[in-house]
Amino acid sequence: MDNFDDNEIGKLLRLKKYEQPPPGYFENFLHEFHRRQRDDLLRQPVWSVLWHRLSDSLFRLNIPSLTSYPAAVAAVLVCAAVVSLKVYQAPPSSDIAMADSASLPVHQSVIDQLSTERVADNFTLSAPLSSRSLGPDLSRQVSESAYTHRASTPPRYVLDRLPVSYEPSFNF
Amino acid sequence: MDQPRTDEDQPLVARAQSGDAAAFDELVVKYSPRLYGLVYNMTSNHEDTNDMLQDVFAKAYRAIKGFRGKSSFYTWIHTIAVNMTLNFLKKRGRRYHLSLDDVDASIQNDKEFIELTSTSSPVREADLSELQRRLNEAMMKLSDEHRAVVTMFHIQGMPHAEISKILGVSEGTVRSRLFYANRQLQNYLDEFRKNPVG
Repeated sequence: MDNFDDNEIGKLLRLKKYEQPPPGYFENFLHEFHRRQRDDLLRQPVWSVLWHRLSDSLFRLNIPSLTSYPAAVAAVLVCAAVVSLKVYQAPPSSDIAMADSASLPVHQSVIDQLSTERVADNFTLSAPLSSRSLGPDLSRQVSESAYTHRASTPPRYVLDRLPVSYEPSFNF
Repeated sequence: MDQPRTDEDQPLVARAQSGDAAAFDELVVKYSPRLYGLVYNMTSNHEDTNDMLQDVFAKAYRAIKGFRGKSSFYTWIHTIAVNMTLNFLKKRGRRYHLSLDDVDASIQNDKEFIELTSTSSPVREADLSELQRRLNEAMMKLSDEHRAVVTMFHIQGMPHAEISKILGVSEGTVRSRLFYANRQLQNYLDEFRKNPVG
């Protein structure tokens, strides 16, 4: 009698693929899998379930892919920071002005320039009128206004003009 | 050899990774019969196989988001199944009871079965069902690692390269284990044929 060789052992072993589970086993396998999954879920603490759901939702949003554009994200953040700083450092509304002339350096320089022109006009009486005919008047008004308020009252905020609705509708 | 050359499961895997439970169900339906055969021939017990297979798919479900596609899903799920079964067998020790007796009726139509029972061979001289029972006993005498290799190569029809990937060993180690296991099975069956009562 011959002995078993590798080939025949291989054939015998391959017949073992016919050893199958009971009929209908694989139809029920998926249901059993779902049932066990639900049981496992019920045994988990609430925080663990919430954590898994949160990580699932983040995964669906594909958050990691957004981090692949760090330069773009950084640029957007820097721009937002600069814009927000500009907004919060903007001057107060133009309806409010400070009466103290010391806080108006631009106006003071205009005053100086206009005063020089006025002195020059005084020494050249024969010269034609300056094209800046409103200069001395403006200079006087601003100057007097500044001196008046500084002498009489402490610096205060005033409105350039009252809204129309604040004017009395009748004068008796 | 019906394992995929390329990872044909990639679309299903991607859907499962994005939280589509139905896609994972499709993978379960596709791989449960094949993995059942793998685990069953390693444990030799239906109940253990059922529990083990449920645990394998539960673990795969939890871990599928970490699957990066370095291997095919086929290799990945088989690796999980083999490793979990080997760990289970280590814990179980030698305490087992055979339930490998549910041979499907379609074996009668199998070409190799007809060949084995019709031609003159040592198999024909012995009672085939008794021989199968002895073969199962011989399988259980192998070490867990050798039985895993025999199951994957002879029963599942995997090539050496695929087995080496699944077990994380070299192809040479796979061939060596296979050779040793074949010799052991051969000796055991020859002994049975000489002493059929034994």
